Amino acid sequence: MILSRLTPQNFRNLASDEIAFHPTANIVVGRNGQGKTNLLEAIYFLATTKSFRTPRTASIFRFDSPSVFVAGALQRYGVEKTISAALETGETKRRVLMINGEKVTLAAYLNAMSVFAYSAARLEILRGAPEEKRRFLDRGVASVDPAYLEQLTRYTRVLKQRNALLHAISAGREAPSQLNAWDDELTRAAAVLHRARAAYAAEVSKTYAEIVAEHGYHIRDLAIHYRPSLVADLGQTRRAEIRARVSLSGPQRDTIEFTTGGRPAQDVLSGGEQKMVVLFLKFAKLELFRRRFDEPAVFLLDDVDAELDLEILQELLVRLPPKTQVFATSAKERFVRALAAGSHRRLIVENGRVTATEDLA
Amino acid sequence: MTAPPLANLINELTKLPGVGGKSASRLAYHILKRPVAEAESLATAILEVKSKIFRCSICNNMTDVEPCAICDDPRRDASIICVVEEAFNIATIEQTRDFRGVFHVLLGALSPLKGVGPQDIDVHGLVRRVQSGNVREVIVATNPNVEGEATALYIAQQLRTLDVKTTRLAFGLPVGGDLEYADQVTMAKALEGRREI
Repeated sequence: MILSRLTPQNFRNLASDEIAFHPTANIVVGRNGQGKTNLLEAIYFLATTKSFRTPRTASIFRFDSPSVFVAGALQRYGVEKTISAALETGETKRRVLMINGEKVTLAAYLNAMSVFAYSAARLEILRGAPEEKRRFLDRGVASVDPAYLEQLTRYTRVLKQRNALLHAISAGREAPSQLNAWDDELTRAAAVLHRARAAYAAEVSKTYAEIVAEHGYHIRDLAIHYRPSLVADLGQTRRAEIRARVSLSGPQRDTIEFTTGGRPAQDVLSGGEQKMVVLFLKFAKLELFRRRFDEPAVFLLDDVDAELDLEILQELLVRLPPKTQVFATSAKERFVRALAAGSHRRLIVENGRVTATEDLA
Repeated sequence: MTAPPLANLINELTKLPGVGGKSASRLAYHILKRPVAEAESLATAILEVKSKIFRCSICNNMTDVEPCAICDDPRRDASIICVVEEAFNIATIEQTRDFRGVFHVLLGALSPLKGVGPQDIDVHGLVRRVQSGNVREVIVATNPNVEGEATALYIAQQLRTLDVKTTRLAFGLPVGGDLEYADQVTMAKALEGRREI
């Protein structure tokens, strides 16, 4: 689907006006600090109920506002659907998700709109904490297999229960034999995640190589080393786990490393190279999504700057599947010109207020 | 301000599951409007349920006779026991009229997070029933969530050494529904458990 309109309320500094978008290319311009990234973030929030900049959703609320709300109109083959996501702060912390005015579950909601985002914050994929890297894989798997999110939730629940039991055993409140049932369930739930993550890591790595070769970029040998923390023979590690009071193996301990020429990518690549690698990874994810579903997707490209190879970026954008809707931000006019190939709309952001130009050829 | 006796009733009603402030005050005003006789029969029904209903000593079902009507029915096959988490799950299975065995209510499911261990649910009683002989099959019908699944595994482990077949309810599509309304996990489970026709 394509996002045709968006209405943010109390979302950072954005004004609560309805904003209408171009079906394929939207270029967001304006000076720094005016709210360009906020607009992309609001779109991302509408699709995922999360931010791509920060794991702390509290920061997206306008200062002093108790709630945040974003509504959007999606279009697919001429049929329009409205979706909205609302969050409350404070004690209630309610989340209300709706499709066409009806409340829906998170799983159903996330299915409505597919979004892929590139921003400098995404460099965390290469150099960030392990959970950041696992999230990279998890989001990717979920984009091609929506049932994965529920499997992930299920695993997390089993893990929590099992950790609580390890606590109780270590305190002498329960017998170690009770672990048997939870061990079985943990092993099964873990295997599902491991299989999905391994398959996706291999696919994304292969697709990255294909896209990079096509564009002649020089970092060709990026390898993704996915090392699952396998749940094997829990009987042997039982004593250690009771002592540690947490489960010592499983998907929560998987590691992912990106290397080039056999060395960690974050150590040998320059800042610009890292940005390009992450950008290519994003295009690889988008490509995998496209091969799986005949669905248009939304692609967010935050802060196009001098460190990105403009020629390659232009080519990547030109070769996107025709149904992809792009939103790109830049503070510099010459990058904006480079992005503006073909029919597009300019969105000028000034102090949180967005004004659109007529569509340009 | 709401008069204290009325406020008190509203407050008591909000303690019921699924009843919020608004529903509670609507119910309270409704009771207030109706004849006294109706309020009396409601109050009597509530008190009676507390004084006359107890758990069946065999299966833990809620009953007013000992043993409960299901355990006492000679037409039912006592060699097949269907294990459920709560007594109200029995009603759901009974509606089918297909199941002619007997039940065992666990009174909960394992949940270390809530401090619920095997000693807090009645697996013991189940094992004793199986040990006493004449039980061919135990059908585990705990909920298909994380806790229900762990409970099912635990029960299977406890029964492993005994001479009894242990089965688990199948997961799959709701009959009579449309495929398009099935959530993804249910659909995946249904695919997993597909059969040749």
